[in-house]
Amino acid sequence: MINFIEISKKFKTDFWSKSFYALNGVAFKVSEGEITGFLGANGAGKTTLIKILMGFIFATSGSIEFDEKLGKNRREIFSKIGLLPERPYFYPYLTGREFVYYLGSLNDVKKSDLEERLIYWSKRMGIVDALDRKLKTYSKGMLQRLGLITTIIHEPKLVILDEPLSGLDPIGRKELKDAIVEINKKGSTVFFSSHIVPDVEEICKNVVFLEKGKLLYNGPIDDIIEKNVKPSYIIKYFNGTEVVRVEVQNKDKEKLIQDLLVDSNNKILTVEKFKVSLEEIFYKIRT
Amino acid sequence: MLTKLLIICRYTFVEIYKSKVLINVFLVGLALLLICYVAYSFTYAVPERIALDVGLGMLSLSSVGLAIFFGVGLISKEIENRTIYMILSRPISRRIFFLGRILGMIGILILNISILSTLTILTYVVLGGVLNKLIFIAIIFSIIESIIILLIAVLFSLITNITLSTIYTIVIFISGHALTDTLTNRFATSNVFFNSLLKTGSYIFPNLSKLNLKDYVLYNQMLPIPTLAWMFSYGVLYSIFLIVIIVVIFDRKNLD
Repeated sequence: MINFIEISKKFKTDFWSKSFYALNGVAFKVSEGEITGFLGANGAGKTTLIKILMGFIFATSGSIEFDEKLGKNRREIFSKIGLLPERPYFYPYLTGREFVYYLGSLNDVKKSDLEERLIYWSKRMGIVDALDRKLKTYSKGMLQRLGLITTIIHEPKLVILDEPLSGLDPIGRKELKDAIVEINKKGSTVFFSSHIVPDVEEICKNVVFLEKGKLLYNGPIDDIIEKNVKPSYIIKYFNGTEVVRVEVQNKDKEKLIQDLLVDSNNKILTVEKFKVSLEEIFYKIRT
Repeated sequence: MLTKLLIICRYTFVEIYKSKVLINVFLVGLALLLICYVAYSFTYAVPERIALDVGLGMLSLSSVGLAIFFGVGLISKEIENRTIYMILSRPISRRIFFLGRILGMIGILILNISILSTLTILTYVVLGGVLNKLIFIAIIFSIIESIIILLIAVLFSLITNITLSTIYTIVIFISGHALTDTLTNRFATSNVFFNSLLKTGSYIFPNLSKLNLKDYVLYNQMLPIPTLAWMFSYGVLYSIFLIVIIVVIFDRKNLD
């Protein structure tokens, strides 16, 4: 759906300072129809790449190709994209409804469709009663939910979310994650930036990992876990007095089980493949 | 594209209107009435002229004030607060966004000037003044002047920060009114370097005294139509010149 080709971006903090690379030769593809997580620590270059993708800032070198299904020119492509920027500020004196109508009408959505979708999503997000209130009275979580509604009100084919869950409480995070999964099930490709690994692991199939402006990994989450997981098992058994936990290599597993079963005092409780979280893997990759 | 321009214009107008900007109009209107009452009580000659003088002066200052303080944040705050990202991620070009915001703000300036000029004219008529065409032309010129100041504020806000933009715009406003008079100053005419410096400045900076018809209005001096047309054209062409510069800069600006 999107092809990033060797994107580099140089910045200068001030006139006299030496320039530095915020992005350095980043190249990857975002697959159609999936939720792709875009991971990286704060300052890794995620937002910079999204800004380049949207044409808000210009890359020092490299280019971006959009799938022809999105359109041939900027106007066609951008009418099929929905973006929720990081920590956006909303016009405080407009009501929630006015704000959604404003942005929806810029995407040529009919008023009747706007109303229908607004009611559905605002009910789904639990902010339907606040739609006619001024945005300055909204909490952060409500603004984030409204932001997501404006992002998807025109039913875009590609949804780009920059840190949509930051600053939300656990319930808010769960609701937004569920909504993201629903958006994806309805046919949108989701490109979802976050610095919180478990969030990405929970809802994404693919992941792109950026570190200090360089691409460290791009591919399915299952693959990176499989590659980094130890080929070992955890066996828990009760030996008559206490529960014992043993980690064994795959090749030694059968033998240990047989040995344990010889002694009638032993009772095997669990045999589990050694698991490691995506977060642990990324800490490992970074170092 | 026109529809989208009008949508941005409409919501910019609504957003600024709802920010209680008209409190400014109410306070200026109240001050205007108060000054007229004081002037009426203390002058024996021409209170209606004082009302007109004060009214035209206040409406010009208030609209220029609005143009500066809203102008410096009209685009730059959108960038700073990332609201612009939610709009430019839609099929909207940067220039349409800019023109929509400017038109919305011009709508606010026209509303402000319309209310204050209505109040000024009513006071003037109640105090015995006689209406003439030049009063209305002076009001239109005030609108053009505030549009130029608005565009200058937006231009500076794209290349520097809000505080400096405000200061620079105020300096341009004062220079724009002082240039013509300074050029006729004996020191300026006798000093070659200073004279050429001022002349160069007069080509670059807006000559706002060209748009100030207050003296002609107060002394009932009608200006020839070609002169008025030239002044009007100058204001419009200078505004277009500023719009072109802003569009060129805004199209190339990194919005971060």
